[in-house]
Amino acid sequence: MTRTAHDWPTLLCDNARSGGQGPQPWRAPGRSRWQTNVEGRVRGSPVLQSELLYVPSQAGFLNAINIHSGRLQWRFKAPAAIHSTPSLSSGRVLVGCSDGKVIAIDAVTGAKSWETATGDEVWTSPVVQNEAVFFGSADGAMYAVQVETGALKWKKALGGRIYSTAHVAEKHVHVGSGDGNIYALDSDTGDVLWKTATGNGIDCSPALANGTLLIGSQDFFFYALDAGSGSIRWKYEAELGITSSPAISGDLVIFGCKAGTLQALDVRTGRVIWKIRIGEAITSPPVVSGTVIWLQAGITFAINLSDGKVLWRAGLGDSLHSAPVVTNQAVYIAGREGEVYALE
Amino acid sequence: MDRRAFVRRSCLGGVALFLDHWGTSPAYGQDLIPPVPPIHVNEPAVTAVSPQRMPGLYPGRVVEISDDRSIVSNRVSQSIVRQMIDRGMRELTGEQDPGQAWSKFIQPQDTVGIKINPSGAPACCSSPEIVREIVAGVQSAGVPARNIFVYDRYAYEMDIGSYQALVPMGVRVTGVEENKLDVSGYDPNIYCEANFFGEWETRSYMASIVSTGVSKIINVPTMKDHSAAGVTGCLKNLGYGTFNNVDRSHRRPFSFTDPLIGIMCSVEPLRSKAVLHIMDGTRMLWHGGPLSQNPDFIFPAGVIMVGTDPVAMDTIELEKIEAKRRDEGAPSVWSRDPKSLTNDGGAFYQDASKNLFYRQPHHIAAAGKLGLGVSDRKQIEHQVIHIA
Repeated sequence: MTRTAHDWPTLLCDNARSGGQGPQPWRAPGRSRWQTNVEGRVRGSPVLQSELLYVPSQAGFLNAINIHSGRLQWRFKAPAAIHSTPSLSSGRVLVGCSDGKVIAIDAVTGAKSWETATGDEVWTSPVVQNEAVFFGSADGAMYAVQVETGALKWKKALGGRIYSTAHVAEKHVHVGSGDGNIYALDSDTGDVLWKTATGNGIDCSPALANGTLLIGSQDFFFYALDAGSGSIRWKYEAELGITSSPAISGDLVIFGCKAGTLQALDVRTGRVIWKIRIGEAITSPPVVSGTVIWLQAGITFAINLSDGKVLWRAGLGDSLHSAPVVTNQAVYIAGREGEVYALE
Repeated sequence: MDRRAFVRRSCLGGVALFLDHWGTSPAYGQDLIPPVPPIHVNEPAVTAVSPQRMPGLYPGRVVEISDDRSIVSNRVSQSIVRQMIDRGMRELTGEQDPGQAWSKFIQPQDTVGIKINPSGAPACCSSPEIVREIVAGVQSAGVPARNIFVYDRYAYEMDIGSYQALVPMGVRVTGVEENKLDVSGYDPNIYCEANFFGEWETRSYMASIVSTGVSKIINVPTMKDHSAAGVTGCLKNLGYGTFNNVDRSHRRPFSFTDPLIGIMCSVEPLRSKAVLHIMDGTRMLWHGGPLSQNPDFIFPAGVIMVGTDPVAMDTIELEKIEAKRRDEGAPSVWSRDPKSLTNDGGAFYQDASKNLFYRQPHHIAAAGKLGLGVSDRKQIEHQVIHIA
């Protein structure tokens, strides 16, 4: 299946956490194309491919919703809750489950293709790169499996529970761990290339920009590391822990903090370009789309990328971890109580 | 088929406590608060009383450990809280070895629930650092990680606190309620029943993890003001953190947290399983509780309290919060001044002179009358150890 311009196959659209949309004029959503509800709460973010929006729920359903009508095309019942953001690859939806399994589901029919087991719950999003799927588990290990079959390529035990979705580059896998370390692994073997300690556990997912690995920690610091060596280039002190995974736009890295601030820093220096207080604890990742940042934090915000000014807000889409899917045609939002919106 | 035998207690807290309060609680005396309705309890028949049931092995005893280094720049120090908890456990039990101290409460065959308080997350909730040390203590008593549950009623509040990522591997992190109005995590046979304000659901059910999931509970409250209960400490964290549908006991400006909190804590098997309380006072929320994120009201108190008597511990907590409020010029939690009431949640979270309810700190003494512990300050042995 070929990816089209509006597809959104993984967390924050792509492995670069870019949001995927190029420059475009800002238009505030004018109406709801449809609104529906899925069964159970939603923690993970939706993903989109072709005509279907895939929404995971803690009731254990992966819901495939037609983006034109809002009708349920199919839903797959997993054996346990789904907290994970799905990923799309080769005609399959990949998703982690609280029973420790990662399941591959046919993206068109909803039939299970394969499953693979870990020793504890998988809340992270599976990341696909070069025919392999990479994911961490609360059992403390990173896994790489074959995308076609789910067969294990390698497993690497790290020092703490993994709730950080990995960033996967051509040769490296970067991930944070509950033991407070940021790890770089060899993507072919799982060997640890380097690790860098922070002052507390990590459940934030890293991003990579121009050789700089960017990630927050529950020690209240946001770190910029040399992706090759793990040495700290700079770190920025926030007011509370950082769960919100960073989004990248050019030389800007944007992330939220649990004290309710959203900040944009210069990737090269860590200098604060702007910082705003939204009010609620921010744990969801911001999404950059063109010149606008979308964020679900109590309500849904659209924020000007250049200065942090709030452009639009709507009292919907409360979320702890879910992030919008943004296309040229619509913004798709899944809220904590299972409500799903297509705004256009 | 459920083979447990159940008994029905009636009016235990409702009429009996109400009459007893009439002469002592200013709110009742001034007719500020409507009469407490009868509260019925349906609970399993207890055939043998556990010697560890509340008030536990050390009634009336509170060990307070303070160390200014335990919280610096709003960060809790893992190594310092380790020393504080070790010291507290040794002082409480008289054991020299911390492992022996933990073994007074926990046996290797136990399944242990660690009841945290995430309701103020992320700004003021049970510190993951303290939870880690408690896990280590339980493991030192021979319990494998897979038999340790860190739990609360609300999964999403635990998620805000990132507990899933921050506790040791193997420990299970469990929210009783994953979904809105989800009652699947509650035991239909154990409940408290009362009609406070004409609500449609008059029962509050006990969480199944408490009734059947664990054999021992370690309670980890935080040191906080509570707009309805006066303070939230051991009793509130345990009672309202175990039963569902408890918000119905508040309707502004009234609250029946007194006596409902104590009654809930007295219900078996909760009363027997809650064998140890470790109060996180590294941060103290002295106004705006239980949910406030306002840093102006969060004080780095640097304290941990250890004990088995929740009433005695909450009595000391109340004293501390009262003292801090006095220092800050805020009204007492015992205040019944109608002028301090507001319906504006925003005003409450910004102004320490405002409140949403007539607070009910008397719930602590009420729990004492139910036999859950010692509320008479003169009878409480409060040991204070200042490390640094």
